[in-house]
Amino acid sequence: MAKNTRKKTTSRKTPARASSKSAPRRWWSWAFVFKLALVLGVIALVATIWLDALVRDRFDTHQWQLPARVYSRPVELYAGRELDRAHLLRMLDLMRYRRDPAARAPGSFSVNGDQVLLHTRGFNDSDGGEKARLLRLTLSAQGVRRLTDGAGAKVSIARLEPIQIGSIHPGHKQDRVLVKGADIPPLLEGMLLAVEDRSFYEHHGISLRGLSRAMLANFRAGQMTQGGSTLTQQLVKNFWLSRERTLSRKLVEIPMAMLLELHYSKEQILEAYLNEVYLGQDGARAIHGMGLGAQYYFGRPLDELRPHQYALLVGLLKGPSYYDPRRHPERSKQRRDTVLLAAYDQQLISVDELKQFQQKSLDVVPPGSAALYAFPAFIDLVKRQLSRDYPEKILSSEGLRIHSTLDVPAQLAAEAALARFLKNKEEVNGAVVITSPNQGDVLAVVGDKVARSAGFNRALDAIRPIGSLAKPAVVLAALQQARKHTLASMVEDGPVEVVMEGGQHWAPQNYDGKSLGAMSIQDALSASRNQAIARLGLDVGVGPVIKTFHALGVRSEIPPYPSIFLGALSLSPFETAVMYQTIATGGYRTPLRAITDVLDKDGLPLARYPVSPKAVVDEDLMYLLQWALRRVVVEGTAQYAYNMLPKDLVVAGKTGTSDGYRDAWFAGFSGSHLAVVWMGRDDNGNTGLTGSSGPLRVWTDIMSTLPQRPLNLTPPETVKMVWMDEDGRRSSGSGCAGARQYPLLNVSLPDSASPCGKVQGAPKGVMKWLKGWFD
Amino acid sequence: MVEGLVRLVFIAVMAMTCAAFVGCATRAPDAVIFDLPVQDPLNDSPAKSLWQSGVQARDNNNLAAASRYFERALSLAPDSSWLYRELAELRLRQGDDAAAEGLARKALRYAPSDPAYQSVLWQLVATSRQRQGNEKGAESARREADMLWSRKAAK
Repeated sequence: MAKNTRKKTTSRKTPARASSKSAPRRWWSWAFVFKLALVLGVIALVATIWLDALVRDRFDTHQWQLPARVYSRPVELYAGRELDRAHLLRMLDLMRYRRDPAARAPGSFSVNGDQVLLHTRGFNDSDGGEKARLLRLTLSAQGVRRLTDGAGAKVSIARLEPIQIGSIHPGHKQDRVLVKGADIPPLLEGMLLAVEDRSFYEHHGISLRGLSRAMLANFRAGQMTQGGSTLTQQLVKNFWLSRERTLSRKLVEIPMAMLLELHYSKEQILEAYLNEVYLGQDGARAIHGMGLGAQYYFGRPLDELRPHQYALLVGLLKGPSYYDPRRHPERSKQRRDTVLLAAYDQQLISVDELKQFQQKSLDVVPPGSAALYAFPAFIDLVKRQLSRDYPEKILSSEGLRIHSTLDVPAQLAAEAALARFLKNKEEVNGAVVITSPNQGDVLAVVGDKVARSAGFNRALDAIRPIGSLAKPAVVLAALQQARKHTLASMVEDGPVEVVMEGGQHWAPQNYDGKSLGAMSIQDALSASRNQAIARLGLDVGVGPVIKTFHALGVRSEIPPYPSIFLGALSLSPFETAVMYQTIATGGYRTPLRAITDVLDKDGLPLARYPVSPKAVVDEDLMYLLQWALRRVVVEGTAQYAYNMLPKDLVVAGKTGTSDGYRDAWFAGFSGSHLAVVWMGRDDNGNTGLTGSSGPLRVWTDIMSTLPQRPLNLTPPETVKMVWMDEDGRRSSGSGCAGARQYPLLNVSLPDSASPCGKVQGAPKGVMKWLKGWFD
Repeated sequence: MVEGLVRLVFIAVMAMTCAAFVGCATRAPDAVIFDLPVQDPLNDSPAKSLWQSGVQARDNNNLAAASRYFERALSLAPDSSWLYRELAELRLRQGDDAAAEGLARKALRYAPSDPAYQSVLWQLVATSRQRQGNEKGAESARREADMLWSRKAAK
């Protein structure tokens, strides 16, 4: 066996030796090549199948990361609406309406004397929304006198579209406004293809001419400088691959681009490209897609841009940072003009248009000037309310449209008033919350005297002692003991001392250090007398007062000490607004809402946040308190407002100052607005301000700016206006010495009259006879 | 003492006479049926056109849209008892009984002195309380409704 083997070996070696003499030994064989090709083919096939699955899976299931967008409340237009011209123009400016004598396109307007021609943009809402339409407004000094459509027919009511005031993308930093294929402006598409991929509609994912040109350039440069990519390749790179320019990436990119073209239409690829492209950076927010690019750089929807603006966006694709129009305007303009030239070469624009648009300035809005960035404190509130109902993932990706209650004029008025007052008070900051009492809508939230500051939101998070803003709760608790206390009842403004559980003494002093003796509860409230209210609170009891605070809507824990009568409980301005909202509505606790509707990305309604008041305090009692707070304005610590505001504007409210002037407050309301203003220092130092000398001024400023409706102080049937004598126990007559008129519940009506009152109010004739029977 | 007793008897006789004449014992209808008042409560205001749109949406069973219309109308006419009543009825249909009660009571706050109309509102309060399981409160509201209905009957 061994012998045979040796023989075999020898016989095999012989020809090898012979051939090595005639030709060099071949390291490969055809069989090897075949096998290698087979293996490579299988690998390529597997890779292609894998890439195909990758492409299809990602493209089919791709969901754009669409952050939830928050919009202000739409502006209602109707004849009789109080709206001055400057105010309207300011709104149109915020909405980036363009001047056009004929207002031909949505988002344009013209002014001619008292006539305003408006072409609204239209929007979706849970009631169906509004279509874009032409409106003609005739203005007068009082507001909108007449409202008609473009043809002159009367329009009862119409709305301007809501302004986008923010977006919510907690899970990622990408932001975009989705543009559907059908909505891509043809000129934008033309410019894009003229610059980036002229043979887009001819190739199948790759352009051999482009690739060879790029390879030649790379060869000359000695490195990868050009990619020669088609739009499809760029999309593949953006979607699946890294930004590195390497050969390996290119080798993957090419088949993927071809596979993409195999499965999807050119329109689908173009739509994806335009929504995916990166166009710049706004802090931590990455600007993706042409839709958001238009908003970010020009403050307008994409379809409202002019040709030179499309050119700028297209030009940015080459290098969003390098050609940033805000940081490098010259560079950006050069690039834009190059795009315009390419558009001209492709006969997309005429030579006249080329010249005209090349002469245009960049038209870029200053960073942060869009309303989108303007109201961080309000957006903060919206986020908190949304987070109760929606998980972060949905908020950051589903493209929800959040219709908020923000009233832009109210917000601007509040910001301006606070900033004006605190301009020279460096250490002092402030917050404002404005609501509409009947609906519970939060109209404005200011969390810092510097508008647009996104730092500490004092309106929601500054939890500070409310001082005398607590006194109405004490008075209300007393009035609930209707047979014992009325607003006319006397209370002693004198020294009071309480020994607390731990042996501490509580002995409140008045603001002026004096004790004024007996006075009515009304006077104690109007003049904000600490000792009188403390005595009243002690008489009523800590428990009932705490109960009243809670009935008014205070959720924070309230310490069971008598010092709460004078405001030793800490609330945020927002929670204070909740409390005063119940007073302003006449006893109805209306949850403050910052959101009215949530719509999906297509504008279809998903959820409503309806108005839902709950009766928590008897309205006749609340009427008494409203009346008492009105007196605070007419004759008490808030008289400044009475002196400054029109006399027919009935408002009510209360000043508050905490110990050591650390916090100054004013909470007050008309029939249409409730506003709470707080001022304080972040280091909790002395502000040098009282509720009257600080917040009341800002409050008055705000209320005088906004269109107002007076507070309706018509007494309910169970309340009678009664003249009471000085001691507050007996009824009196209008002409009697010291007599004052008070609203009293029927159950609190006095059963005796002063001698003067008896004479004045004595019943006559049949009434006297009848009264005799019932006395 | 005797004088007081005589007075009481007198008052009782007067009350019974009144009841006999005007039908004080008339009970308010259980269902909320109410004819529009002759006088248009919203006149020819923009709030009225919103209210009309709201009614249309409600009749088409689009309650969310109806709610939005009524709320918009309310922001233009915040003292309209009529709109609060509409919203209260809507909330009842939507199953938000607590809100319905609050809205009905607000409607009462701004209601004109029309006993029939007020009776309907108390009936709404009664229904919403009943649905919240507040039997006592519902009964008290029903009494108010009956009393007002009897006044209407007296008219």
